[in-house]
Amino acid sequence: MCQPMDSAPSTSIPIAEIGLRQQAKERLYVICQAGGWGFLFVLGVVVALLFSKSEDHNDPVSVVAMQAVATAIGLLLTHFARPVVTRWGWKQLGWRPLVPRVLASSAVMSFLWGLLNYGIIYGVMRTPWTAKFSLWLLFPLSWIQGTTLFVGWMCIYFFYHLFDRFNRSEIERLWLATSVKEAELRALKSQINPHFIFNSLNSLRGLIDENPDRARQAVTQLANLLRYSLQSGQLETVPFEDELRTVNDYLALEQVRHEERLRVRLDVEPGVLNLSIPPMLLQTLVENAVKYGIAPRREGGEIAITARCESGQLRLQVTNPGTLAAGGGSTGVGLRNAAERLQLLFGDQARLDLRENPPGCVTAGVVIPLETGPGMGTRALSSPRGTDTLGRQARRTDQKTVLPA
Amino acid sequence: MKALLIDDERLARNELRRLLAKHADITIVGEAANADEARAGVGQLSPELLFLDIQMPGDDGFALLESLELPLPQVIFTTAYDEFAVKAFDFNALDYLMKPVDPARLAAALERLHKREGSPSGSPLSAGRIARLAPEDKVFVREGERCWFVELKTIRLMESEGNYTRVHFGDAQPQLFRSLNAMEERLDPRCFFRANRRQIINLAWIDRIEPWFSGSLLIHLKGGLKVELSRRQAQAFREQMSL
Repeated sequence: MCQPMDSAPSTSIPIAEIGLRQQAKERLYVICQAGGWGFLFVLGVVVALLFSKSEDHNDPVSVVAMQAVATAIGLLLTHFARPVVTRWGWKQLGWRPLVPRVLASSAVMSFLWGLLNYGIIYGVMRTPWTAKFSLWLLFPLSWIQGTTLFVGWMCIYFFYHLFDRFNRSEIERLWLATSVKEAELRALKSQINPHFIFNSLNSLRGLIDENPDRARQAVTQLANLLRYSLQSGQLETVPFEDELRTVNDYLALEQVRHEERLRVRLDVEPGVLNLSIPPMLLQTLVENAVKYGIAPRREGGEIAITARCESGQLRLQVTNPGTLAAGGGSTGVGLRNAAERLQLLFGDQARLDLRENPPGCVTAGVVIPLETGPGMGTRALSSPRGTDTLGRQARRTDQKTVLPA
Repeated sequence: MKALLIDDERLARNELRRLLAKHADITIVGEAANADEARAGVGQLSPELLFLDIQMPGDDGFALLESLELPLPQVIFTTAYDEFAVKAFDFNALDYLMKPVDPARLAAALERLHKREGSPSGSPLSAGRIARLAPEDKVFVREGERCWFVELKTIRLMESEGNYTRVHFGDAQPQLFRSLNAMEERLDPRCFFRANRRQIINLAWIDRIEPWFSGSLLIHLKGGLKVELSRRQAQAFREQMSL
């Protein structure tokens, strides 16, 4: 446990991947815009040169210039339409709301297009009016033509995004499925440490002759612990009281093993007993404290557990003797799992950290928000309530209690 | 057979004591709760057999074995559930018992021990105060996830690496936690020869000998290793071999 937690939870698509996708999309956009408008430009020039009559005295230069202006304006209009469409959230819309919006926006863009087109060509460039028809007839015609063009543009644009969105949700779905599997796997691993179980059974064997009563009690405690770790795995949260009872059973068993080397101090506010916490959270912290704070020390030491309600938060602290640097052999898996579970359940409002404070003592601290606890009173809790025949005294304590050895 | 129980849990030692009560040939001479107590116990009581827990506060069981005076007593490991240790044991077919200990398995382990006991270890060959090690005596080495009790006769070559010694045997060459000079003091000179400042070779593993520059010798060991004897050592080698 005495190792800084590394890596954020791996439950989201990596940033690098998103960046790559964005780059690829940007490139595709540039290619499509350049290709599409370039094609229209060439087509316009060819059509104008082929089908215009000679008496129209359209010289190629002015034809190209007019087409270039029209193409450039169309390109710019669609280019600036893109961020607007994104900002207005049209990419997230369905078919029905999208159709009138596409039609209306295309009409507006086409109107602007026509206005700018005629303005620049005949107003700024002072090209003489050579058409047979008046402006009042030509303008609406080109407006309709432009609208079709922009509708076409929008169709391509939104079809692409629809497809992209489908693709992305598929990727996300697969990602989620993988991370759920991962979490399940780790949850299985984070159950009671087998080393502890077999050591306990071994001490129990030794205890049978020496202290049959204590041996009987220890069997019950071990049974409670195993049952809890099996059952609580399916629950998102459990009442703190249940978790604390399990921790007490666990510590009592560790005291059978380590005897006077393990001392325990409990400081639990009665108000926190009904609060919800993720199962095995406190247990993980305490197990770590024994593993890194008691087991490697010949003289053993004291483990202090405090649980308080402060400013809308449940604050848990587990302190054991030791230094952060001494946890070199730790893989950090236990605490990382716990941190990930907290993150999944409560987001950034929950916190798990490990500090060396005071010097020579390592404190694992957890902060859980109270209001947003997802399991509070809403989930069916099938925790092994009532199975504890021992009713350890530390269950409802508001002052410092030392567990009997 | 004198046995020392090494386990940090009092109840575990008690339990083992109770299990061993049925085996009259095993005399428990002492208990130790950690590596330091065990080192003292081995020194004072010279047990022939250790029941050794791997996980202990302070030095673990492996570190204890690396630091014990040679020759090592016989060792039966006891462990609760330690993937790493069990892998190491299975790899070398070392004797280990899983806790809680099954009496039948304990009996089988002791049985194997008696069968192996044909060659007494630590036979005093030299007139010196410290006993020379026999070729059948073992050293404990580990490297990463693997560990071995290596019989000295299977070691082809020992190379000095500062305070440690690299031992070549089989297809492995792990580091031994002892200096080459310390090893030389304990090795039987009829089996091992100091080839030069850095290397000791096992005479039984010599394949062929080749004259080398200016009176030195190049020794080819079985398995492909080549060792150059210094001129002075080549002289000593010729003398010893012609005897």
